[in-house]
Amino acid sequence: MAEVLKKIKFEKWKGWLYLSPAIILLLIFTVWPIFNTIRMAFLEDFNTLQASRGAVFEIGFKNFEKVIGYKDFLTCLGNTMILCVLTVPLSTILALVIAVCLNSIKFLSRFIQTIFFLPYVTNSIAIGMVFAAMFNIVGSFLGTDNQIVQTWGIVNEVLRAFGMEPINWINSGSDYWANIWVMVIYIVWNALPFKILILLGGLQSVNKQYYEAAKIDGTSRIRTFTRITVPLLSPMIAYVVITGFIGGFKEYSSIVGIFGDGMGPAGEKGKLNTMVGYIYDSLSLHQGRASAAALILFGIIFIVTMINLYVSKKKTHY
Amino acid sequence: MKKRLVAFLLLVVMMVSACAGLTACGTPDDGKLHISFYHTMGQNLRDVLDRYIAQFEALYPQYKIDHQQIGSYDDVRDQIATEITVGNQPNIAYCYPDHVALYNLAYAVKTLDEFIDSTEVIERADGTTEILGLTEEQKADFIQAYYEEGRQFGDDLMYTMPLSKSTEVLYYNKTFFDACKAIYDAEFIKDANGNNVANPNYHNEIYNLKVPTTWDEMEETCAKIIAIENAKLSDADKAAGKKANVIPLGYDSESNWFITMCEQLKSGYTTLEGDEKFIFDNETNRKFVERFREWYTKGYVTTQEIHGSYTSSLFVEQGAGKTKSYMSIGSSAGATHQRPTADANGKYPFEVGIAPIPQADATNPKVISQGPSLCIFEDSAEEMKASWLFVKFLCTNIGFQADFSIASGYVPVIKSVDTDELYAEHLESADGGDNIAALSVKVCLAQEAYYYTSPAFNGSSAARDEVGALLQKCLLIKNVADVPAEIKKAFAEAIANCKYKAD
Amino acid sequence: MFDIKKISEKISSLFGAKKEQNDTSVLKTMEEKDMSRVNRTQRVVQVLVKIALYAFLLTMAVIVLFPFYWMLISSVKSLEEYNLSVPTLFPEAFHFENYVEGFKTANLGQLFLNTVFVGVVSTILSLVITVLSAFAFARLEFVGKNALFAALLATMMIPGELFTITNYQTINDFFGLKTLGNQIGSKFLQEIGNWQNTYTVLIVPFLVSVFYIYLLKQNFMQIPNELYLAAKVDGTTDIKYLWKVMIPLAFPTIISITILKMMGAWNSYIWPRLVANDDAHKLITNGLRGADFTVDSMVHYPRQMAAVAIVSLPLFLVFLFFRKYIMKGVSRSGIKG
Repeated sequence: MAEVLKKIKFEKWKGWLYLSPAIILLLIFTVWPIFNTIRMAFLEDFNTLQASRGAVFEIGFKNFEKVIGYKDFLTCLGNTMILCVLTVPLSTILALVIAVCLNSIKFLSRFIQTIFFLPYVTNSIAIGMVFAAMFNIVGSFLGTDNQIVQTWGIVNEVLRAFGMEPINWINSGSDYWANIWVMVIYIVWNALPFKILILLGGLQSVNKQYYEAAKIDGTSRIRTFTRITVPLLSPMIAYVVITGFIGGFKEYSSIVGIFGDGMGPAGEKGKLNTMVGYIYDSLSLHQGRASAAALILFGIIFIVTMINLYVSKKKTHY
Repeated sequence: MKKRLVAFLLLVVMMVSACAGLTACGTPDDGKLHISFYHTMGQNLRDVLDRYIAQFEALYPQYKIDHQQIGSYDDVRDQIATEITVGNQPNIAYCYPDHVALYNLAYAVKTLDEFIDSTEVIERADGTTEILGLTEEQKADFIQAYYEEGRQFGDDLMYTMPLSKSTEVLYYNKTFFDACKAIYDAEFIKDANGNNVANPNYHNEIYNLKVPTTWDEMEETCAKIIAIENAKLSDADKAAGKKANVIPLGYDSESNWFITMCEQLKSGYTTLEGDEKFIFDNETNRKFVERFREWYTKGYVTTQEIHGSYTSSLFVEQGAGKTKSYMSIGSSAGATHQRPTADANGKYPFEVGIAPIPQADATNPKVISQGPSLCIFEDSAEEMKASWLFVKFLCTNIGFQADFSIASGYVPVIKSVDTDELYAEHLESADGGDNIAALSVKVCLAQEAYYYTSPAFNGSSAARDEVGALLQKCLLIKNVADVPAEIKKAFAEAIANCKYKAD
Repeated sequence: MFDIKKISEKISSLFGAKKEQNDTSVLKTMEEKDMSRVNRTQRVVQVLVKIALYAFLLTMAVIVLFPFYWMLISSVKSLEEYNLSVPTLFPEAFHFENYVEGFKTANLGQLFLNTVFVGVVSTILSLVITVLSAFAFARLEFVGKNALFAALLATMMIPGELFTITNYQTINDFFGLKTLGNQIGSKFLQEIGNWQNTYTVLIVPFLVSVFYIYLLKQNFMQIPNELYLAAKVDGTTDIKYLWKVMIPLAFPTIISITILKMMGAWNSYIWPRLVANDDAHKLITNGLRGADFTVDSMVHYPRQMAAVAIVSLPLFLVFLFFRKYIMKGVSRSGIKG
C-alpha cells in the first residue's frame, strides 16, 4: 500500500525531475540575469570594480539619465532606428516580390529557391568581410583635393562602367549615408532568405481558387498582387516584419562584419555603433549603465512589437 | 525504473560538471609559491624574460613565476579589470598609469613604499643575502624621472616600478634626404652622354631638404617633398592633372600627437588641480588641430587610424606605383618595423635616419614618456613579497635591462647599464640598417631631459582615447564653410565624452 | 487559420464580381466564344510575363550569388592582381597557395577543432535536455505544468543582450565559488569558479533553448497518447519508450534542431568573443575576424578571402545535404543560429 502511494506521489512530481536540467540552467543563465539586470540598472553608477570592495550604491534613475543624456548613445539609437526603418520594409517588399515570382514559375524553381537561401547558411561576419572588400577603396586622402587612389574596388568599377562617379563607401572620410547604404544592402541581402522562405511557404498554402477567380475576372496582375496576395499573406508578412524589427533593433554583428570592432570607417570609430554595440562597450567598466541601456532596448523592442501586433491585427485577414 | 531515470539524470549532471571540471586540472602541486605575471611581450622578449626568470628561480627556488602574454596593453587592462571584480587578478602586471588609476577603484594595487624602505634581510639559495628594500645605490641608479612616475597618483605613494621606457622619434628616409641634398648642391650633372651640363635644379630650394626640428620646418619639408615628387611625374601625367603618389609624413599615434602638442605648446591637456580635469578645449589646441587638418587636406600627413594600419607600412613601402612616405613618427621601441625589408644579399633598399620629433618651441622641447611599468596586486603577504622580489630583480638587474633593451629598442631604466660591455658595444654599432634598434635607443637617451608624463586618474585613459579620436575626426573634416566651428563642436563633444566616461 | 468564406466574400466585393459570373456554365460559354482571340494574346502575354519573371529572378539570383563569386575568385588571385586598379572578373592565374597560407595565418586548424568540439558537445547535451523537457511537457501530468510552460515561453520575449551582462559575471565567479576559493585558499575552488577561457563557458550557458523544447513538444504531442499508455501497461520504462517510439517518430524535427544548433556554434561571435579569447578555446568566427592577414605591411585580401571561403564551406556542405531539414527548421523557428 505504502509502495503504491509512494508511486503515485512520485508520478505527480516526475515531470519536474525530467525538467530539472533545463530548469536549473534557466534559473542560472536566464532568470537570475533578468533580476540582476534590473537591480544593476537602478543602482546609481554601479560598477563591479567598486562593488568588489564593498562600495555602496544609491538606488535611483541616474544610470538611465546618464545613458539617455549621452550623445554617443543617441547616435547608437539613431543608427539602429535608421537601419531598422530602411531594411525591414525594403527586405520585406523585395522578399515578397521574389516569393511571388518564385511561386509562379515551375521550371528551375527549386534551383533558384536554393540560391536565394544560400546567404542564410553563411557566417555573417565572414561574408561581411567579403562585402567590405567589394566596397573598399585602397587609397589615401579620399575626398580631398589630394586624393590618391590605388584601387576603387569592384562596386565602384561597376558604377564607373555605367558612367557614374565612384563613391567613398566605407573608407576614411566617407559620407554617413554611404555607410548606411552599404549596411542596408548587406543587411537586406542577409535577411532575404528567411523572409522568402516564410512568404513562399505562405503562398504555397494559399488556396488556388482565389487566383482562378481573379484570372477569370480579368484582374490585372498588379491588382491581383495587391488585392489578393498581400491580404492573404498578411499573417506571414506580419510575422516577418515583427521578427525583422526585433532582429533590426539588435543589429550588431553585421556592422562588425563590414567595419570591424571599431564600428565605423577608419578614423571615425563608433560612427555606426548600435544599441547592442553600446551595451557591449559599457559592459567592462559601467555595468550599471549597460544594464540601463539593455532595459531601454528591451522597452523599445517591446513597444515596437506591440505596435506591430496592434497594426497587424487591424490589417491582417485571418 | 526510477533508479534508471535517476541514474540517467545523474549522468547528464555529471557530463555538465565534467566540462566544468576540465578547467580544474592543469596546475600540478609542486609545493612552490606560484606568482603570475601578465605582460604584452612578443616572442623575442619572452625569450629574454625566460632566461632571467630561470636566474631568479635559481636564487629563490621556493618561487615559480608563471608569465603570460595577454594581447595588447588594453587587453591586459580589460582582463585584469574583470578579474579584480572576482579576486582573480594576477600578482604582477605590465601597466600604464591609467590602468593603475582604474584598478584602484577597487583598491587593488599594492603600494610599494613599505617594500622599498624595508631593511629585512632575505636569504637566497646560493648562500648570499639581499635586503628586501632598495639600497640607496639602487635608488640613485634609477633615472629619476622614470622612478618618480610611480608616484604620480596624487597621494605621494609609490604604485609602480619602471621596467623599460620609450618615446616617439622621427624616422626619415636618409637615402632620399641625402639624394635630394646632393641634387641641391651639385652645380653640374652628367647628361646621357656623360658630359657635364648645368644642373637645372642647382640651388633649387625644393631640393634643400633638412631633417625638420620644428613643426614649421616640418610643414616646409612636407611641401618640398610633394614638389619633388610632382616634378618626377611625366608631362603627360602632369597634363592629366595627376599627382605624385606620396604622403610625406605618417604619424602613428593620434593620441600621442595631440597630447604632445599640448605639452609643447603648454596649452593644457588634463590636470588634477582645480575642479576641471579636462582642460584641452582651448583656443591654442583648436588652432593646432586646424593647422594639421590643413596639412591633411594638402596631403602632407596621415595617421594610423585614418590610414588603416601602422604608417610604418607607408614608410617602408618600396613597390612601384605604391603610395610612399619619407618620414614616420612612431615609438622608438618599434624601430625594426620602420626598416624596409632587406634583399637577398642583406642589403636594405634605403637607410633609415632617426631624429627627435619636431618641436613647437625649440627652447621647451617635450617628448612623451611611454613604455611599461610593473604593478603588484593585493594578495597574501607572502605572495606580495615574492612578487616584489621579482619586480625588483627585473628593474635593477643590469643584464636583464641591457638584454631587454637590445631585443626591443626600449630604453633601460637604470644608469648602470652603461657599464655593461655588451650593451656599450651594441650602442656603438648603431646604424640605420641592421642595428636600427641601437640607433633609436641612442636618440632616446639623448632626450631624457625632455620626457613628460600626463597625470593619471580615473578617466585619464578615456581622455587619451578621446583626444586621439578628436584629432582623427577633425583631420577628416571636409571643406566646409566654417571649419573652426566644426572643430569647436568636435572639441566640446570630446570633453562631454570624457566627462561621461570618467564619471 | 484562414476563414475562406470571409475572404472569398471580400474578394468578390473587391472586384465587384457579380454572383452569376462565378457560375461556371456562364464562364464556359464566354470562354468558348472568345477562345481563339483570347488564347493567342493571352499566350503572348503569358510568355512575355514568364520571360520577365525569369529575367528578374535570375538577375536577383546573380546579385545574391555575386559576393560568393567575388570571394572565390579573389581567394585565388595574387595580391598584385587583387590590387589592380581595374579589378579582373576572372583570375589570370590560380593561386591556390592562398588557401594554405590563409589557413595557417588564421590558425584555422585549431579554430576548427575548437568549434567542432563545442558544437558537438553542446548539441548532444542540448538534445538530451530538450528531449527530456519536451517529453515531460507532452506526456506527463505534474503539478504546475501549465504555469511552468507559460513562464518558459515568456522568457523567449526577452532579448539575449540583457542576459549577457550578468552571465558574464556569473561565469567569472560561478556561485561565488572562486571568491570562496580565494578566501580559503583552495586552488580547486578558484578554478572551478572561473569559467573564463574554458569550453564550459562556451557550452553550458546556451544548452537550454525554450524554442526547441516548444518545437519538439508540439511534435511529440502529435504522437497518439494511446501508444504511451499501452507501453506503460506493458511495463516499458519512460526512457525506453522515449528512445524506441518517440524519438524515431520525431526524428525530422530532431535533425532540424541538431543542424540549427551546430550552425549556431559555427556562427556564434558575441559571447565567445567576450569569454574565450585564448588560442585553445577561440571559436572560428572570432578567430577569423581577429586574424591579421597583413603581409609586408599590407592586408593580403586574397588570403583573407581564402580563409573566409574555408570557413564558409562546411555550412554549404551541410546545407546541400540537409537542405530540406534546414529549410523546414528555419521556417518554423525564425531564429538565425
